[in-house]
This record gives sequence, structure tokens and C-alpha cells, in this order.
Amino acid sequence: MTINIENEKQQDAATKVETSRRNFIFGSVAAAGLTVAPAVMLYQTANARSLSDFSLKDGASSKVRLGMLVDTSKQVDWNKSVEACNKEHGLGNEKDSRDDQKTQYIRVVDVKNKGTGYTMSLPVMCQHCEQAPCIDVCPTGASMKRPDGIVLVDSHRCIGCRYCMMACPYKARSFVHEVLTDQTENTPRGKGCVESCNMCVNRIDKGQEPACVKASNGAIVFGDLNDPTSTISALLKEHGGKQIRADLKLNPGVYYQGI
Amino acid sequence: MWLQLNIDFSFNSSFISKKSKEKSLHKLPLAVAGLALIASFNTVNASQSNLGPSITIQETSGEKCVLPSEEMRRQHPDILKHDRIKTLREGVRAKADGGVLDGSLKQCVNCHAIKDDNNKYVRIDNDQHFCVSCHQYAAVSIDCFQCHRDIPEGSGDFHALSNHKDINYNAVVPGTYSLTVQDMANIAPEVHSDDN
Ligand code: HEC
Ligand code: HEC
Ligand code: HEC
Repeated sequence: MTINIENEKQQDAATKVETSRRNFIFGSVAAAGLTVAPAVMLYQTANARSLSDFSLKDGASSKVRLGMLVDTSKQVDWNKSVEACNKEHGLGNEKDSRDDQKTQYIRVVDVKNKGTGYTMSLPVMCQHCEQAPCIDVCPTGASMKRPDGIVLVDSHRCIGCRYCMMACPYKARSFVHEVLTDQTENTPRGKGCVESCNMCVNRIDKGQEPACVKASNGAIVFGDLNDPTSTISALLKEHGGKQIRADLKLNPGVYYQGI
Repeated sequence: MWLQLNIDFSFNSSFISKKSKEKSLHKLPLAVAGLALIASFNTVNASQSNLGPSITIQETSGEKCVLPSEEMRRQHPDILKHDRIKTLREGVRAKADGGVLDGSLKQCVNCHAIKDDNNKYVRIDNDQHFCVSCHQYAAVSIDCFQCHRDIPEGSGDFHALSNHKDINYNAVVPGTYSLTVQDMANIAPEVHSDDN
């Protein structure tokens, strides 16, 4: 087991070397052209490049690890992101389910420090773990990770056993309890299957950012964690970020600042 | 199908004639009537020999199906299943030339959606739905449309949704998509055409 993990780490290191070599070449060209440009500009061009790297015909690349960085210190209304998510995926069309049964891809969690009375809220979606427990427990291979690190349910294989829901420490998955109609064309969903945030694969594959990111007014940043020149990597390097329940050593792809 | 019917009928005719031979002659008129009936069945049968499912091919301004019809009839289950693995598990959504994958279910639905007399798209519970019209005849039942949308969404301009009831839908132009009242109530307000 340990050996396996070691191997994987080595592989990771290998891919990192490759990306950084590419970036070294590109980076020096960029630096030559933009010596006076402010750092923010650099972030933006870098981000645009990595987004357009995704290609419809090549599919998900194992060179990238897609992730998100949520800045909870920005005072934004997370419900805007939840709404955008619901709209993108056509969620909320259950008629007979109880509220706690209805599908949520993003939960807004309010936390309070009882000692100081300090409160804050943070959006919790699928954390897209590297070592995802939902994948370990799935009996059919429906819980899966794309090469680019996105964890999602292949509904074509899901039998609705809900082991993954029990295994997930983030309570990120929902089960569809009733027959649905009028789904969106990009997110087919139906009774008897587990589902969860898929980082908007349908948008990402087209080179767009996830719906919640778009609606977050800059409070959620999306990008390639393997690419040191991406906005998200730069922000993480500069300000740091925390993974929720990092003690579980699942290495989630979603980072938080201000928690 | 035709062959099977014929076998049935020939069995019937021998059965009746055998019976009429065994029994007395005064049953002859009945036998003649029976034979006449069988004859009429047979002519009906002959004219039915090319009666398959009636499917409607919508107008597509010259666009062709992803494969020739003969291949499509046989191979569509395979290409659908092949390409859904590519799309969902590998994230491949386009062919090498940049076109949409052959087996994209979205594409089938967008191209093959047909409208009824009231200019509304027929849904999957309707016998006229392109996929149903044929499958019903072939006794095929598929579960795809329990999850997948059975009619086009429009050009990505609106999303069906029901959890934004408080929003004013006046801005939505129905245009050529004549949806039901229920559908209208479910249309989400924000226009997505900028990025979809
Ligand atoms: C339990 C729900 C469910 C059922 C049932 C289902 N699908 Fe899917 N299907 C999905 C999801 C979720 C996706 C991923 C959509 C995406 O990422 O764009 C998908 C994607 C696809 C795609 C690729 C996207 C596209 O439309 O081009 C194809 C093709 C497809 N499914 C075919 C089928 C076929 C054929 C059947 C029936 C035999 C079927 N599916 C049944 C949920 C379902
Ligand atoms: C660009 C529009 C278009 C798309 C996309 C498309 N079709 Fe077709 N399809 C047609 C047309 C037009 C025909 C009539 C035959 C022809 O001219 O090719 C047809 C014919 C067929 C037939 C044969 C009907 C017959 O005559 O027996 C089948 C089956 C079929 N399509 C299934 C599908 C499936 C399944 C998909 C999705 C994988 C699909 N089609 C995608 C336009 C389309
Ligand atoms: C020309 C008639 C025809 C049309 C039109 C048609 N189908 Fe089929 N389909 C069949 C037949 C016949 C079979 C059974 C093939 C077999 O069992 O080998 C089948 C089987 C299937 C299967 C596999 C079912 C299984 O249990 O494995 C899928 C999936 C499917 N069709 C999807 C579609 C979709 C989606 C459409 C509409 C876009 C469609 N078909 C339109 C004739 C048709």
C-alpha cells in the first residue's frame, strides 16, 4: 500500500517536472513581453491560457489537476453560487421529496465559534479528493475520477446503493428519490442514482469555468493546481489555503481561505 | 412478422378444412365462408408486408444523419454506448475534426425532435416521439430518457427549472418553441446564450 502511494507520488513529481519545463519556456517569453505589466495581468493571461488548454476532442488530461479555491473572507452571498449551480444542472425539480432529500450539489454551511460568537458561512461541494473514499467503496465503478482529477458519478453504471454517500466525509452526494422530468440537456439526472457536483464538466470541457465560480464574483477561483502559473496556484502560493478535514489525508482539490 | 402471420394462417386453413372433411357436408357453406375470410386475410396480409413502424423524419435543411440510415438502424445502440463512455468517463466531446461525436444523444434528440399538430415537441411518453415510434414496434424499451432530456432545450437559451417561482418570466420569448403552460412556468429567466 505504502509502496503504491510512493509510486503515485513519484508519478506526480514526474508530471510536475514536465509541466514546469513547459512553463519555463512559456514563462520566459511572457516575462520578456510583460516586464512592466502588473502581477494581476500575469495571473489573468496565465488563467486564460490554461482554460483554453482544455480541448473537446482530446478529453480530460492527466497532466492537469483541476481544483477550486474558495475565499470565505470575501463577503459574497454564497446563495448566488448555489442558485447558479441549480440553474446550470436543473436541480430543484423534485416534487415529492422532503427538503433534506432534494439534491444539493453545494451546501452552504454556517459555522459558529461558541467561545467567541464568531460566525461565518462557506459553500461545501464535492471536494474532488485525490484519494476519494466514494470511489473506494463503489461496487460498480460508477464513482470515478476523470484523469484531470474531477470526481463524479457515471450514472450509466450507478445502481443507487448509496455506499458512496455514507463514505463521503463531506456529505457531498445526494440521491434522487423520484421520477424527474424536464432535466437540462447538459445534466441528465434520474431516479435511483446518486449524484454530486461534477465541477461542471460540461462547461469545463468547453473551456468555460464552473457555474458557481462564474456567479461568485471572484470569491471562488477555478484552475489547474498542477500548473504553477495558473491563478489558483499563484494565489495558493502567496496566501496559502486550507483543505477541509485535511487530517483525513484525502488531498481534496478544493481549498479554502479565511477558515 | 409477415412470415409469422402467414404460418399462422396456413395452420388455420388446414385446421378448418380438416374439420370440414371429418364432419358432415352441411358444414360446407361455413367452410367456404371461412376460406373466403382467409383469402381476404391473405390479401390484407400481402398489402401489410411493408407496414413497419411509421416514423417521422423532421426537416433538417439538407443535413444527414450521422451514418446512412441502414447503418443507423442497426448500429445506433452501439455508437450511443461507445460515445457515452468517451464523453462521461474520458471527457471527449468532439471528433478529431471538431464536430460533435456521432453517438451524442443530445444531438440525436436535437435533430430528431418532432412537433405535433399544435407545434409542440412530442415528449417521450408519446407514440410519435422519434425513438418511441420505432422502439414500440420493435418491442425495445430504453431507460435513457429517465435521465436524458427527451426534447431539445432550444439553442441553450432557456433551462427548464421549477425552483425559481418568484421570478418574472415575461422576458422569455417563446418563439418557435411552443412549450406547454407547465413548461413555461418552469423556464428559468436568465439567458445563457452568451456562453452556451
Ligand atoms: C441515471 C441517469 C442516466 C441514464 C439512465 C442514462 N444516462 Fe446517459 N448520461 C447521464 C449523465 C449524468 C451523463 C453525463 C453528461 C455530461 O457530462 O455531459 C450522460 C451522458 C451520456 C452521453 C454523452 C453526452 C451526450 O449526450 O452526447 C451519451 C451519448 C449518453 N449518456 C447515452 C445514454 C444512453 C444511450 C442511455 C440509455 C441506454 C443513457 N445515456 C442513459 C445520465 C444517464
Ligand atoms: C443532423 C441531424 C441528425 C442527427 C444529429 C441524427 N440524425 Fe438520425 N437521421 C437524420 C435524417 C435526416 C435521417 C433520414 C435519413 C437520412 O437522410 O440520412 C435520419 C435517419 C435515422 C434513422 C433511420 C430511420 C429510418 O429510416 O429507418 C435512425 C435509426 C436514426 N436516424 C437515429 C439517430 C440517432 C440514434 C442519432 C444520434 C446518435 C441520430 N439519428 C442523429 C438526421 C439526424
Ligand atoms: C428505425 C427504427 C429505430 C429508431 C428510429 C430508433 N431505434 Fe433504437 N433500436 C431499434 C431496434 C430495432 C433496437 C434493438 C436492436 C437490437 O436489439 O439489436 C434498438 C435498440 C436501441 C438501444 C439499445 C437497447 C438495449 O436494450 O440494448 C438504444 C439505447 C436505442 N435503441 C436508442 C435509440 C434512440 C435514443 C433513438 C432515438 C434517437 C432510437 N433508438 C431510435 C430501432 C430503432
